[in-house]
Amino acid sequence: MTSVAAARPAARSYAGAFRRRLGTLPKHVVVIGLMVLWLVPTIGLFVNSFRPAAAVQSSGWWTFLIHPSQLTLSNYRYVLAQGGLLPAFVNSLFITIPATIIPLFVAAFAAYAFAWMKFPAKNVLFVAVVGLLVVPLQTTFIPILQLYGTFGLNGQFLALWLAHTGYGLPFAVYLLRNFMGSLPSEVFESAEIDGASPVTAFFRLALPMSVPAIAALAIFQFLFVWNDLLVALIYVGATNPDNAPLTVILANLVSSLGSGWWYLAAAAFIAMSVPLAVFFALQRYFVRGIVSGSVKG
Amino acid sequence: MINGRSRGIQISAMVGTIALIAAACGSGATPSPAASAAPPSAAASAPASAAASAAASPAASGAASAAPAPSATPIPSAAPSAVSAAKSFAATLGHPGGQVTVLAVWGGSEQTQFLNMLKPFEEATGISVKYTGTRDEPAVLTAGIASNNLPDVAGVPGPAQLQQYTASGKLQDLSSMLNVSQYKAQTPASYVQLGTVNGKLTGVFLDVSAKGQVWYDPKVVGDLSANPPKTYPDLQNLIKSDVPSKAQAGWCFSVASGAASGWPATDVVETFMLRTYGPSVYNQWWQGKLKWTSTQVKTAWQDLGQMVSQSYGGVNRILTTNFANAGDPLFSTPPGCLFLHEASFITGLGKFANEQRGVDYNFFPFPAITPQYANAVEGAGDLFGAFHNTPQSAALMKYLTSSQAQTLFVAGGEFLSDNRNVAQYPNAMNQQLGKILSSATAFVFDASDQMPTPMQTAFYQGLLQYIQNPGQLDSILSHLDSVQSSSYGG
Repeated sequence: MTSVAAARPAARSYAGAFRRRLGTLPKHVVVIGLMVLWLVPTIGLFVNSFRPAAAVQSSGWWTFLIHPSQLTLSNYRYVLAQGGLLPAFVNSLFITIPATIIPLFVAAFAAYAFAWMKFPAKNVLFVAVVGLLVVPLQTTFIPILQLYGTFGLNGQFLALWLAHTGYGLPFAVYLLRNFMGSLPSEVFESAEIDGASPVTAFFRLALPMSVPAIAALAIFQFLFVWNDLLVALIYVGATNPDNAPLTVILANLVSSLGSGWWYLAAAAFIAMSVPLAVFFALQRYFVRGIVSGSVKG
Repeated sequence: MINGRSRGIQISAMVGTIALIAAACGSGATPSPAASAAPPSAAASAPASAAASAAASPAASGAASAAPAPSATPIPSAAPSAVSAAKSFAATLGHPGGQVTVLAVWGGSEQTQFLNMLKPFEEATGISVKYTGTRDEPAVLTAGIASNNLPDVAGVPGPAQLQQYTASGKLQDLSSMLNVSQYKAQTPASYVQLGTVNGKLTGVFLDVSAKGQVWYDPKVVGDLSANPPKTYPDLQNLIKSDVPSKAQAGWCFSVASGAASGWPATDVVETFMLRTYGPSVYNQWWQGKLKWTSTQVKTAWQDLGQMVSQSYGGVNRILTTNFANAGDPLFSTPPGCLFLHEASFITGLGKFANEQRGVDYNFFPFPAITPQYANAVEGAGDLFGAFHNTPQSAALMKYLTSSQAQTLFVAGGEFLSDNRNVAQYPNAMNQQLGKILSSATAFVFDASDQMPTPMQTAFYQGLLQYIQNPGQLDSILSHLDSVQSSSYGG
């Protein structure tokens, strides 16, 4: 009797733990299953980037499990050497980094002004800036090309920096204004009382507290510019291929009738490496809550 | 905490701003900021020198074929004599130096062959050719024309665009850049005609392809090269006697091609129009002077319908298979079909690219339907024009149209030339195709490519609909009539 009584609680706790684990098991299975499903196309692309052209054309990527010896680096070798990808890679960096930093800075200034400063027609201006979100960028090509033509900017990196700044600003201002607007007003009020000018308040308060939003925006803008083909092609590609970014070269690995697409997988992974690095570098800013506790300061 | 962080941010902000200002100043001071990122000479010579080393040393190509070659079809290198001939011709163009920008649709192996052709030109004249290839070329050109931001030399999508660009005054009259009498002497009149707008030569074909060829596997059908079917009924008899003993179906056919799905079927209708009614009816048709509901056009569609009914895999395969893989069942065991109707460029696509020409596949021109039109050829090709008349672009146009450069161009195996003096092709099949094109007495350009865009789109759509529901032919054609009456402005 006593032994049974003594054994019972232990048995119950084991059963409880087991039941708890059983309860979360379906959840884990579903989550892992979804993750695998989500990753399958990428894995397939990755495997295909290591398979020779003839194999890619004739069989599915999973057949590498049967013939692992067919895996080769020749696609990467071709793309890097013959495709002229390396100079384009440098061009892409040279285009993307300023085209990410410039709009971020301009948008941060604008967002602070829209959120915390008082000036006439503030709301009308803000609505006008945000309203630009709906303008398709394709409609701007011809007027901007004409403008650039007047100043001799076509084919220059500066043309792309300015264009991407313009295209990125409405969304950047919108996102940052909303973020800065949600910062606790006590911070800015006490700063004002302490005699801080708007510039001080911006650099010492608004900017540091907005780092998560700025980091998120940096990722968006970086990816947009890095992956852009059309804007680069229109402003730079036609007249100055020396400045063409990675996307132009990558798209051109395929011939006009569609052969050569088997190189795209390898080229895509080379092109993806930088955005992935940027994402993982900035990813921690998403998690870190900088706003919490800032009122104490 | 805030202090430390904000100082860090401030410093990084200052560093960023300084870097930006420095970068902007740099770009202002030097005309090409590319200089700091990628030396232009290095960028330009990288692909060319890679190609050159492959072309120059047979050892290199040998090594490439010993290792598993990434490309299914290694680009054959040109004969050294062809290279030196092209170089000595380029030497006659002087040595102006400088650069010329070129925009075209060629990418991948096409781009390599184009740059291979340009190598002797760059060496002899000191002109560096800045080539951009993009399949979005029409969009880039449209924006460029409207804003005057144009490359020196560019491929023109088709004769319709050539007329449009010439009318807008952007395309240069080539008579001031080329030796026109020499060009005309070397090129069949029909091609010259297609590049001429209002008496001005503004476009030249750098390469042409022969549409309406019938492809087959000699191991299945037997070698027909010496004795191809003379007439369309002969071909039908061959299909009747060989199906199903030699293959499951008479034809291989498929029309999927992304947003342009349907165009392979337009080629079939065009073949029947041309072979049955001749070039003048054919031209009236795409010019909008012949109704779609006319007996001629309707009969051509019904002929297509017959091909569809004789096709391997049925309607589903036709609509869902990419045109590049249309002919794959020719080579399967047991063979899926006997014949494939496709243009000469199919040899670089699908399974053709891995098979041996002349051995695994061969071709004959689509047989005669009306005997007097047996020698008419339908083709397509890449027209080139010049937007700026500079010494460099003039030299380039002279070089591109020369038989020496054209010989070098076709040596890569993917292109055919309309130049009569191009005598040397890398293989017998291209030789024969080149002869068909350069000796064509009546050459017509792809009809659907010359129609106004709404008409062309409706043509594609109509064909897809017809392949699905052959019973709706009359309503499809009368719809096309209504598009015709609205889309040919004036």
